[in-house]
Amino acid sequence: MLKKHTFHVAGTHCASCKILIEDVLGEQSLVKSVEVNLRKETVLLETESEETPEEIAKILTEKIKPNGYTLSVEKTVSENIKYDVIWKAIPVGLFFLGLFFLLQKSGILNLGIGGTTTPLTGFVVGLIASVSSCLAVVGGLVLSLSAKVSQDNVSDKKNFILFHAGRLVSFAVLGGILGALGQAIGINFTFTSILGIIASIVMLVLGLNLTGVLSKNHITLPSGIFNFFRKIEHKTFTPLAIGFGTFFLPCGFTQSMQVAALSSGSFVSGFLIMSAFALGTLPMLALLSFGSASFAHGKHAPLFFKSAGIVVIGLGLFALLGGLVALGIINPLFNI
Amino acid sequence: MNKTSLIAITILILGVFGFVFIMGSSGNPAVVKNVEVKDGIQYVNIDAGGGYSPKVSLAKAGIPTKLIVKTSGSFDCSSLLSIRSVGFEKVLPPTGETEVDVGVPVAGVPLRGVCSMGMYSFLVNFE
Repeated sequence: MLKKHTFHVAGTHCASCKILIEDVLGEQSLVKSVEVNLRKETVLLETESEETPEEIAKILTEKIKPNGYTLSVEKTVSENIKYDVIWKAIPVGLFFLGLFFLLQKSGILNLGIGGTTTPLTGFVVGLIASVSSCLAVVGGLVLSLSAKVSQDNVSDKKNFILFHAGRLVSFAVLGGILGALGQAIGINFTFTSILGIIASIVMLVLGLNLTGVLSKNHITLPSGIFNFFRKIEHKTFTPLAIGFGTFFLPCGFTQSMQVAALSSGSFVSGFLIMSAFALGTLPMLALLSFGSASFAHGKHAPLFFKSAGIVVIGLGLFALLGGLVALGIINPLFNI
Repeated sequence: MNKTSLIAITILILGVFGFVFIMGSSGNPAVVKNVEVKDGIQYVNIDAGGGYSPKVSLAKAGIPTKLIVKTSGSFDCSSLLSIRSVGFEKVLPPTGETEVDVGVPVAGVPLRGVCSMGMYSFLVNFE
């Protein structure tokens, strides 16, 4: 005999959660039909099982626990906890943003590097670039995507490795091509600025999503878009493509290195300069992505996601305003 | 920790960083003599590297003017200069001087240069 049960579900934070939960629960033999209501955070089940709702909730929680969801008969009182976390996350996030902008203002990143550009200079410039204002665009994007990927429990480590591999290989190869051609590709300011603005919008959306503002007020994106994201999140080429795309993101250092590569005169020297530069940026970016993964699986995960969200929103705003200034749409509001 | 103390910490952090930034940005820089006229051409000198200096310059209108942008070991954003009003957009050499012909400026129409990420800029006023 079919029985209907309504359970409360905790841990839903995105539109794609609905699809994921319905997929997983729908595969269980004791479940006849399943419908997730994200707004009410409930799951409506039809089952032939004769067990008590508590038992069913326990069995099914086992199945979706790895994805970060729990089912319960009583609504768990997590609302208050959530509320407190954001108040902890705001000072933490602001603190890191403040440190970042202080570092930019301090001028210690402006050490002049003279002489001709060798792969060694490329590496040092890469190290500096990875903590410079470029971090606002590239690092912010990496942090927001990493946190999101970890939160959605996609196989994060594999994706990060693919991203960094894609980045290293495309920098090296594109650097080589620049050196061989001796001609500018992708050094069009307008093009990079537009790309930077797109990246900053992605950061803002993901940042709001991570802090929970978007899901709280239910301004979720249409589920079509989330379906699309969910599909591409699982594709192998996505992290590779994003790694490739970072070559064209606005970053003074990257663009200077591209010019150095193209004036270097040969495929090999361009290849070496750009791969050394990408290697120099690797430690910081790897720290951001793999750090996200380890925090995301730790006990401070909610605080981490919300703090990361605040940082990403701050960096996204900085990148967005910068992009608009660079395109001549608005006048500079700040001059760090 | 309760919410009130967390809000207090937030305000404190905003206050401290805000103070540092405002103190760092104000402080009128001493007037730098970066404009010179040679053989009927006005040259405005700007240093690029970790931002532009001076951030605001004052030059004469009505005479042919050129900017001399000087870089020394600069790889950061300021070496990617764009001056939209004269259609200038170039990656400056890490070390060297770049001449930008800005024509004959009109009084009251300032010239603005920004770096490719938009966080550094400079302004040349003409009168």
